[in-house]
Amino acid sequence: MTRPLLQLLRSTRARRDQTARPGSATGAAVEVDRVSRSFGEIAALREVSLSVAPGELLVVTGRSGSGKSTLLNLISGLDQPSTGRVLIDGEAVWQGSHVVRARRELVGLVFQQHLLLSELTARANVEVPLLGAGVRSRERRRHALELLEEVGVSDRAEHVPSMMSGGERQRVAVARALANSPRLLLADEPTGSLDSVNATRIIELLVRLRDRRGMTVIIVSYDPVVGAHADHTVTLLDGRLDSGGRQPLEA
Amino acid sequence: MLAMIKVNLQRRWGRTALTALGVAVGVTTIVAMLALTGGLSRSAGDLAKLGRADFGVFQGGLADLTASSLPASIVPRIEAVPGVAAAAPLQVVPHALAADSSILVFGAEAQSFLVKRLVLIAGRDAAGKELMVGSNAAARLRIKPGQTLVIDGRALRVAGIYRSGISLEDDGVVLPLALTQQLSQRPAEISMIAILIAPGYGELAVERSIERAVPGTLALGDPSEVARVDTNSRIINKAAIIIAVLALLLGAVVVINTMAMAVIERRREFGVLAAVGWSHARIARLILGESVAVSLVGTGVGLAVGALASVLLVHALAAATFVSPVITLWVIGRGLIVGFALGVLGSLFALWQVLRVPTLKALQRE
Repeated sequence: MTRPLLQLLRSTRARRDQTARPGSATGAAVEVDRVSRSFGEIAALREVSLSVAPGELLVVTGRSGSGKSTLLNLISGLDQPSTGRVLIDGEAVWQGSHVVRARRELVGLVFQQHLLLSELTARANVEVPLLGAGVRSRERRRHALELLEEVGVSDRAEHVPSMMSGGERQRVAVARALANSPRLLLADEPTGSLDSVNATRIIELLVRLRDRRGMTVIIVSYDPVVGAHADHTVTLLDGRLDSGGRQPLEA
Repeated sequence: MLAMIKVNLQRRWGRTALTALGVAVGVTTIVAMLALTGGLSRSAGDLAKLGRADFGVFQGGLADLTASSLPASIVPRIEAVPGVAAAAPLQVVPHALAADSSILVFGAEAQSFLVKRLVLIAGRDAAGKELMVGSNAAARLRIKPGQTLVIDGRALRVAGIYRSGISLEDDGVVLPLALTQQLSQRPAEISMIAILIAPGYGELAVERSIERAVPGTLALGDPSEVARVDTNSRIINKAAIIIAVLALLLGAVVVINTMAMAVIERRREFGVLAAVGWSHARIARLILGESVAVSLVGTGVGLAVGALASVLLVHALAAATFVSPVITLWVIGRGLIVGFALGVLGSLFALWQVLRVPTLKALQRE
């Protein structure tokens, strides 16, 4: 009885160590299969289908109210489709009892308004997902500082969000999203509250991180600058994919 | 997690302090009331065990055992009851000492076991119209053998200082019974009779025999039974329970309200925690930790203030001699349990407020 339990603990720890190591993740394949989402009478998404290959950087564009954020919420498991299904690596991970684990180990989220915890330092904010994953204090601290270094705000590690610029906060938010080495990074209007210079820097950072880590990245944005960095873009119009479908980045 | 709890409590330190104060009020009341009622029970028990008697005989049907009044003529009848080895009549005269009206004056026969068991630590045995002073009372009155004390307007010489080991006796003054009867102008009256049981007899059987032999009397030896029979103690106990429950409700409402407000304000923050992979259990631990931490701070304050309040309360009630607060580990333990329970209780509503909201909705809250 004791030996299998020890083996299980060892394998869990090994997996956690592997998860916490930067650069160890590989991208996840995303399949959105005839997904619709209605809020009462209002259809936010209608029969949307798309595939994202592992390691791909997809930008979802569209006007305000076109359903971009709704689609991202469905892919991230924060919301459930009215019909259709979302598969990550061929599995419906947002159903059943593994949602928390999938959210912790599979997906990293970047929000438009960074949503950092205002009383915590940048380092402590990056540590939050690691704390949720049960990573030990010293390891959390070390990994958080590495991530802040990676996104270029290591000098702000002990500053609270109110002492940072908008661009710096968003970089910290990106670091937080990377904390558990996700295989899928989802960003909802990550440049929406930034000036053009900072917006470009954030997108370049996301592209660089994708190149370095090999993770799949899906960005929702109305900003054409963002679309210019994508492998592919899709456009939503009134809850449907625009007839053009996926458009590869033109050189 | 502890660091987050600390940061979250510090971010609204004023609110945290007020919440801790609410808990402190509840715990203070609990500790003070438990200490006071414990002291009352012990004092009532002491009364029945004066002179290290096996039990005491009182007037039946009274609300307050200290108001007991018996005719001295029943003493021979009680001495004749099988199983009674000795019966020592005693008169308790409250508020008779001019220097400190809270000190009890006992009238006892010089040859009774009550007086014989007093251990003389200074001076000599009393003779004639002299008195003996208990060690605690002597310290409080700063009196020595040879000096005088005024009792009911009469100056009496202090013959000696004694110690019995029973706080009620050591806090009092012992006079000859005839003198207290004379001072109180009730020559044939006593307050109670202390009983020693003969070997081979059971306490309960002898108590019942006395009550049958002298109807209208009440024989009590078990301190808990004394507290139960003494109506005043019962009323005070019940009042203490009611006050304690009200204080607890107040503390609970304060903690519940504060925690609910705190989490409603931070709903988006909890949404972020869920979005980055925190399980419901871990979020619950954070909220519970904050609630229990603030409650334990309040409990610490409440325990200290409660101990002080119980002492102040008996002084304010001029009952410091008859009652001394009893602060046992169990009293402190109950204070801690109450504080912890308030913390857990306070977090439950807050937990429900947080966990019932879907993550996406929580993230969308402003």
